[in-house]
Amino acid sequence: MTVEAEAEAAIPADPHHIPEGADYITHEHGLKSWLTTVDHKRIGVMYLISILLAFFAGGVFALILRTELLTPGKTIMEADTYNEMFTLHGAIMVFLFIIPSIPAALGNFFLPIMIGAKDVAFPKLNLASLYIYWIGAIFTLIAIVAGHIDTGWTFYTPYSMRGDNSAVWMTIGVFILGFSSILTGLNFIATVHKMRSPGMHWRRLPLFIWGIYATAVIQVLATPVLAITLLLLATEKIVGIGIFDPALGGDPVLFQHFFWFYSHPAVYIMILPGMAIVSEVIACFSRRKVFGYMFIAMSSVALALLGFLVWGHHMFVSGQSEYATMVFSALTFLVAIPSGVKIFNWLATLYQGSISLESPMLYSLAFIALFTIGGLTGLFLGTLSTDIHLHDTYFVVAHFHYVMVGGTVFGFLSGLHYWWPKITGRLYDERWARVAFVLVFIGFNVTFFSQFILGSRGMPRRYYSYLDQFQPLHMTSSGGAYIIGVGFVVMAIMFAKSLKSGAKAGRNPWGSAGYEWPHPHNFAEQPVFTRGPYDYHLATERELFTGTDEEWDAHMAKKGEA
Amino acid sequence: MNQFSQLPPQMSTFAPDVDWMYLFLFWLSVASFVAIVAVMVYFVFKYRRRPGVEAVPTGHGNTALELAWTFLPLIVLAFLFHEGFRVYVQESVPPENTVDIHVTGKQWSWEFTHSNGITETNEAKIPVHTPVRLIMSSSDVLHSFFVPDFRIKRDVVPGMYTTLWFEATALSTPERPVRVFCAEYCGALQGSTNGNDRNTNHSTMMADLHIIPQEEYATFLREGGGPPAECADAVDVNVCWGQYIYAHNGCSACHEINGEAGGHGPNWMGVFGEEIALEGGGSVTADDAYIKRSILDPSADVVSGFGNIMPPYRLRDQEIDAVIAFMRSLNAQ
Repeated sequence: MTVEAEAEAAIPADPHHIPEGADYITHEHGLKSWLTTVDHKRIGVMYLISILLAFFAGGVFALILRTELLTPGKTIMEADTYNEMFTLHGAIMVFLFIIPSIPAALGNFFLPIMIGAKDVAFPKLNLASLYIYWIGAIFTLIAIVAGHIDTGWTFYTPYSMRGDNSAVWMTIGVFILGFSSILTGLNFIATVHKMRSPGMHWRRLPLFIWGIYATAVIQVLATPVLAITLLLLATEKIVGIGIFDPALGGDPVLFQHFFWFYSHPAVYIMILPGMAIVSEVIACFSRRKVFGYMFIAMSSVALALLGFLVWGHHMFVSGQSEYATMVFSALTFLVAIPSGVKIFNWLATLYQGSISLESPMLYSLAFIALFTIGGLTGLFLGTLSTDIHLHDTYFVVAHFHYVMVGGTVFGFLSGLHYWWPKITGRLYDERWARVAFVLVFIGFNVTFFSQFILGSRGMPRRYYSYLDQFQPLHMTSSGGAYIIGVGFVVMAIMFAKSLKSGAKAGRNPWGSAGYEWPHPHNFAEQPVFTRGPYDYHLATERELFTGTDEEWDAHMAKKGEA
Repeated sequence: MNQFSQLPPQMSTFAPDVDWMYLFLFWLSVASFVAIVAVMVYFVFKYRRRPGVEAVPTGHGNTALELAWTFLPLIVLAFLFHEGFRVYVQESVPPENTVDIHVTGKQWSWEFTHSNGITETNEAKIPVHTPVRLIMSSSDVLHSFFVPDFRIKRDVVPGMYTTLWFEATALSTPERPVRVFCAEYCGALQGSTNGNDRNTNHSTMMADLHIIPQEEYATFLREGGGPPAECADAVDVNVCWGQYIYAHNGCSACHEINGEAGGHGPNWMGVFGEEIALEGGGSVTADDAYIKRSILDPSADVVSGFGNIMPPYRLRDQEIDAVIAFMRSLNAQ
């Protein structure tokens, strides 16, 4: 045994070391190796599976709701069942899917790689976050189903505090989920601050990381307010201290202030990561650094901060003071500025680019169009005179679905298609991906555009039954929902086929200059970054090569001959 | 309603102002959206990937451009805020000398109490061309008083008063009254088997506003409300009035009048004058006094086999007499 080999044997095995030829999925086997892993990639994949299950469940409830709304009065279920169904749809989509979707799943997988770190700052805490998420999810679902909770995801008092204690159980479930969110946020902030590789200064930070970082700051600052609110609710219900219930001397409007103080920033927890993905994808498929890099990065930070100052725009008709309403309306318009800055910069990135339209790019371009509609209809709701008419109607339902689905979900799908080869090592069938995109895009617009008209005409939300005059638009909306459903089935089959028999992906199938691509997993050694993540003109031919390693060797051999 | 109109009919003085803003925003949005998508599509086509053509490196950006698209939209946004706030101030500050009506929201009905003390349930007489102020509160959970035709909305909150004001600009017809909706989610009657029934859940918590001439409202305030006009020619005016109250005040949601089992409350046929068992033991004769008590304070003596779910109804003595007369008439059938 040589001296070097002895020295090597004395070093404890690196838990992140992946032997040559294996990858993070295959180097260890068995359920136990997954459940006890501290590898951020495996934790990201487990999050991904969890949130996709939640998305599936929330989507099924959405289809049930739209089916019930095909006719006024009863179609397939009674009014009280309908109310439970929309509560399940909202709570699952918001707390179990959309909040953790991009940060916890894709963020976990890519944040360390993109800054040249081996893992997040606290790998065990990262695994704990996942377990807390699972516990909170099970707790919440059991409480909603067993307790027949029908309050909607906002659980406004005093309605939510009537009857038995089942609402308290649900709030405890959401309370637990909040901790998962806080711990993930803390972990990401520490990682971004302390674990960047040499050369990864703040002006080189990939925009995906900027977005996830801004999100993490909101998660850490806002989520505790939700926890406090839910604790106060539980205290009122169990001990009988009047906080929100007017019968006990409390103030129901105070609950709305507390709730939206968290839930409005939470909207930015949901949308910022979607924007972050769009910035990555637009750069990659335009072969060009994002225009106004620092403005895009800072607009994420601006949105994160402004998001804390506009919660009262959910309460223009709640009975809050006219002065508060005035200030919240004015501040709300400021949100349009950083949102507009992003859209303009994305468009400017396309200028003089070299644009190709693979499925990730299609989703990102759709994001720009749909988010524009979501943002512009937000003007109707920030303007006081029109909001008084539109508040709590289907117009609001359509507006936030354009932002949350047209925005966040399209951003998530863009990222999922973009990084799928990196996560799974396989390519998917681009033709079927495009078919699914077209179906989801058309279905989405049919579903929700008709809801803008419903709302303008005065159709309030959370309605089991409605006037006959609204039926044609409701039927249109339901028809669109079925198209979305078909689109997602096509997408699921397409991804399943890719997992089973997809062609082996090269290191960098899209030819991206991003740091996450050129190495098979994490960087084998700590890298030193000498160029930015979008510097296509500085990247080497090897880095941008889209084929497999064998194809690269063949390519080089051919070059050598010539 | 015009089938292609985005907005409901204009029935209040606020509606034209609100609709002007709505349509301004609508066309502003259409123009912005078309511009953004057109630029996007043009760039995607013009700079599509072609062999041998490299992307031009971005360089250091353009600070003047960035500042322009950061600050120029502020001008438009300031205008939007100002216009929206101007109308909002008008909506928030009622003029002096309004006609005041107290509104109580409760699961799942609306009560309107006029200045002469008369309470109407799920419908209300409103004078035309008169500023009307609603002073609103809830007796249980949050509700929201929403009148699309007037473009007004305000939450109705337990434990506090909120106000709304409006001025109706046209008379309504009996076929198309001005409809009030509840816009804040407030639940559903548990176990209800027909959610389409009026006033049994959040989505059917409606009321009809009848916009009437000023003189007619003045007469109503002075002389009080009698039986509805359609009972003028009835054989027994009181029975007809009682039946009208049964149909319009939400009684029919729970009480059947066909003598068959079923329903959330006791069937009214064959009840009057009978000895009936009470929840928790004992019995009572269903006479005038019991019926009256059951309307004003339903939880006092609940009939055996039924839940204590009925809210109190604030009917006047003549109205209660009419309901009793209607119940008696059911015995005779």
